[in-house]
Amino acid sequence: MNLKMADSTLAGSTRVNLEVLDRLMNLAGELVLNRNQLIQSVGAANTQGTALASQRIDLITSDLQETVMKTRMQPVQTIFERFKRRIRDWSGQLGKEIELAILGNGVELDKTILEAMEEILVDLVGLAVTYSLETGDDRVRVGKPRTGVLKLEATQDAGQVTLSVSDDGQGLAPASKEEVRQYGSKISALGGDLEIGADPAREIRFLVRLPLTLAIIPSQVTAVGQERYALPQANLDELIRIPASQVKDRIEKVGEAPVVRLRGALLPLMDLSGILGLEKKYTDQDGTVRSDRRVNMADRRSLQHCSHVSQPLPQPTENPKALHPRHTKDRRQSRDSALHIAVVSSGTIRYGLVVDHFLEAEEIVVKPLGRHLRECLAYAGATIMGDGKVALILDISNLARLAGIPKESMTPTRWEDPREHQVSDAISLITFKNTETEYFCALLEQVVRIERFSWDSIERVGTQKVVQHRGGSLALFTLSDLTDALPLPEKPFCEVIVFRYGKREAGLMVSPPLDTLEISLNVDDATLKGSGILGSAIIRDHTTRILDVEELVRQSNHTH
Amino acid sequence: MKESGIMTPIDPLTTEMTSCPDVPVSVATFRVGQAFFGIDILRIREINRQAEMTLVPLSDKDILGILNLRGTIVTIIDLGLRLGLGPVTPSRETRTIIVTSEGESIGLLVDAIGDVADGRKLEPVPATLKGIKARYFQGVLKRSDQLIGILDLDQLL
Repeated sequence: MNLKMADSTLAGSTRVNLEVLDRLMNLAGELVLNRNQLIQSVGAANTQGTALASQRIDLITSDLQETVMKTRMQPVQTIFERFKRRIRDWSGQLGKEIELAILGNGVELDKTILEAMEEILVDLVGLAVTYSLETGDDRVRVGKPRTGVLKLEATQDAGQVTLSVSDDGQGLAPASKEEVRQYGSKISALGGDLEIGADPAREIRFLVRLPLTLAIIPSQVTAVGQERYALPQANLDELIRIPASQVKDRIEKVGEAPVVRLRGALLPLMDLSGILGLEKKYTDQDGTVRSDRRVNMADRRSLQHCSHVSQPLPQPTENPKALHPRHTKDRRQSRDSALHIAVVSSGTIRYGLVVDHFLEAEEIVVKPLGRHLRECLAYAGATIMGDGKVALILDISNLARLAGIPKESMTPTRWEDPREHQVSDAISLITFKNTETEYFCALLEQVVRIERFSWDSIERVGTQKVVQHRGGSLALFTLSDLTDALPLPEKPFCEVIVFRYGKREAGLMVSPPLDTLEISLNVDDATLKGSGILGSAIIRDHTTRILDVEELVRQSNHTH
Repeated sequence: MKESGIMTPIDPLTTEMTSCPDVPVSVATFRVGQAFFGIDILRIREINRQAEMTLVPLSDKDILGILNLRGTIVTIIDLGLRLGLGPVTPSRETRTIIVTSEGESIGLLVDAIGDVADGRKLEPVPATLKGIKARYFQGVLKRSDQLIGILDLDQLL
């Protein structure tokens, strides 16, 4: 059987979707217009015109780059499909029964890389089929099903595509592994990596990681010490800031590992500076850079206790949602004692990554690292920031591996709620009360924010209650306005849940305690359905009515 | 993918022809520590002063970091460490030599740049060259009382 690689013939042309071409034409046109405008504005020293034109050119350039990249992208299906025929042929030739499984057909790769990979995959799959998969008789003898399975899988993590060849055979002998090394350099030339499955028991024989060249990905830039690291948005679930005072309550330990409690689930925590082996430093007020000797993540002592400098600490940020501004110098004056956690996930791995600060959310161009850094699995690539400096892009799944956390323990533990059925049906709710005995809830995703107003600040315009808020008026309702609930008891302060439905906002006056939870809901939409209520459910032993937020906001429309 | 140097033409005045096919015509020389080395000038893209680099934690010890060279990410290697001579100490004369190797640009940090030498007088590498592995070198050049080790980039990187 001839499995020799044919001469590589890269086609000189490609098919491009007409829509993509049209888009390119449009973008080119826009670019020309805005370039003219820019030249004119610069010539006339028109700063406003220049700013406007450069802003537009910024957007057009991003669009252009993405669209050009699209012209070269093709789904792996184009090469995977051809293996169906090959596997059939090889099965016959080798006298083995082999079934082909394909996953991730829709994943796209640059055309050149795809074509080059096809040649390489033919050989790699050939090796697996020849040496790893056994004949039907041999398989039955060891208790395996007669038909062997060869699996081709493509997955995509931002900036990177992974192709894998797996089979449920006996694995490759070390001798054949040597043969494979030649492909390693071919794959390196494409900017990728080849990993050979070390353990015959695990099914992956070959893993090829390929860069998405010129990929532009949205990312969240974070800072640790003086360096910046980018987290792909595709891996980012949320950002959490825990003020120093709350850290003791929310950070717990499972054995030796720190975890944080997040809406009923325990999330393993990893310290980025710890994994990367960075010495924690901070700059105190006289400009000296010192080591941060706080070893324990939960140790939120003020930095004064750790240094010999007895100077007052700079004030920590009041607004937890503020992003730290970027300065060109003195970027981080002090270590804010709050804990900044980025909740990240990749496949089944999910954990909280502790960083010093969150910086901007930015679209970044993924650039591959040179070949000497390919072995640094912690990074998916690098990018050039606005100030011309380079920032590394973190590879979320590999970081976890580097920290030595086995995959199994990465799935966060859920609090057991005896009334939970399947995790997949879980929805996020906010629960609250009206009077002491009336329980309500609403979908958390419709909540914009929670405010607290003094009773005196609430004005009445006719029958409508409003409060001055953020430069405008916010319409307020009580549950007795919308449903047959009892009137809200008057208190000096009132909690208000601000809901948004579509473009409108409205505030609901409620009573504490406010809480959030994720449960799978068994909605009884018959018994208590009424105006303003979608139905009811039993939550924590109480009959809880589910608020119809749409109706609430619609009511606010009518009164405006 | 080895970039070959220009083939030395036969000198009509002497019938001498160098035996190595890849003799570099010109070499840029530089100093690392107390020793002198050279690289085929055709492999050098540019020479820069040391710019601010981004550290790459968890990388090999001889990799100083990465920097932005007009849109490309270039790995910077401390040539002193790579050659086993000890780290290059930053000074006003420290320079980064950007070379091409296997289709990418790589930066080599050196202590000081020397001048360009005639590479055609290349001689074979002596058995030990200041303790550094002989395979890193294409040959040596003699200049006044110095021995300049001409580096074989494909072996070195």
